[in-house]
Amino acid sequence: MMLFSRVRGLPVLTPGDAGRVGVVRALTVGGAPWRVTSVRIARGRLRKDAAVAWSALGAAGADLLIARSGGGSDPVPAGRELVGSRVLTECGEERGTVLDAAFDPLTARIEAVLTTSGELPPDRLLGLGDHALVVRAPSGRAPG
Amino acid sequence: MNELTAVRSLATLPVVTLGGDAVAHVKDTVFDPSAGRIASFTLTGRTLLSGPLPRDLPWPAVHCLGRDAVMVRDAGALCDLPLSAVRRDTARGRLLGAQVLTDEGETVGTVLDVLVEGGTSGRLVAFRLAAHRELVHGSRHRRHRVYVPRGEALSVSGRTLVIPAHATAYVSDDVPAFTARVGARHDRGRGAAR
Repeated sequence: MMLFSRVRGLPVLTPGDAGRVGVVRALTVGGAPWRVTSVRIARGRLRKDAAVAWSALGAAGADLLIARSGGGSDPVPAGRELVGSRVLTECGEERGTVLDAAFDPLTARIEAVLTTSGELPPDRLLGLGDHALVVRAPSGRAPG
Repeated sequence: MNELTAVRSLATLPVVTLGGDAVAHVKDTVFDPSAGRIASFTLTGRTLLSGPLPRDLPWPAVHCLGRDAVMVRDAGALCDLPLSAVRRDTARGRLLGAQVLTDEGETVGTVLDVLVEGGTSGRLVAFRLAAHRELVHGSRHRRHRVYVPRGEALSVSGRTLVIPAHATAYVSDDVPAFTARVGARHDRGRGAAR
């Protein structure tokens, strides 16, 4: 299990010559099933960020990520940044913001989302858009 | 009983899909006075300078009305309408500012705000009035915080709203007291039915 906050700032290296591509700036997340779709890599002050699909990474360790050679040509799947987004229940009530999330580095599946008002299992997530992360109301409470 | 929401506070609420995208903001609430509930919402665009949208959000398409957003299933819930129709419906279904009469012909005030039930019901529960002196004594400030329950019968003609005369017996000064009194009345009604 890995945390988004731990991955941010890790160096991304190319295999073989161990050249440094940059450091991880953010992870984007896509839905159904909820998983990490891509990594946004900061490559330096004067260069634009690069987006690399999570599937194009060769390995993810505790201290560094390794890009697969030629992996940059993989199409980058759509996704949005999860950390910092507002949380809204399907009943239209705000429940704080997302602080962090835990995911499995092998399958890239999200395992839990930590918000300012508690932890959410991935089966309660409904959608992540430009306004908010929409979550299902706690079980036993129908909308309304 | 669902949480009560003042209709004035609904303006500028975002309309959010279950996918998490904001598609519009609420501009105005249109009532269906015969059914005693919200009929639709008129909308504005998402930025400060975007004007009214030529579409509206009918109540059946609302997934849930919450404190911080109006939830819809997807962006297809919005109905395209010509702007003229939107303006006409708004003028017809706007209760704010309407004059309130009892069915005995007595003028009791004007509507300042409408309390509706949130969630999936959208039921019209009560009116906040700028009450006349005959209904409530005291300063103008006090008379502007008067809540009157909707009652069972309700009719609207033009800019005039007619409420049953017995509804004025349940006038309250604030929302908690109002909720308690109406709740007690409901319970009594239920007890009598049994």
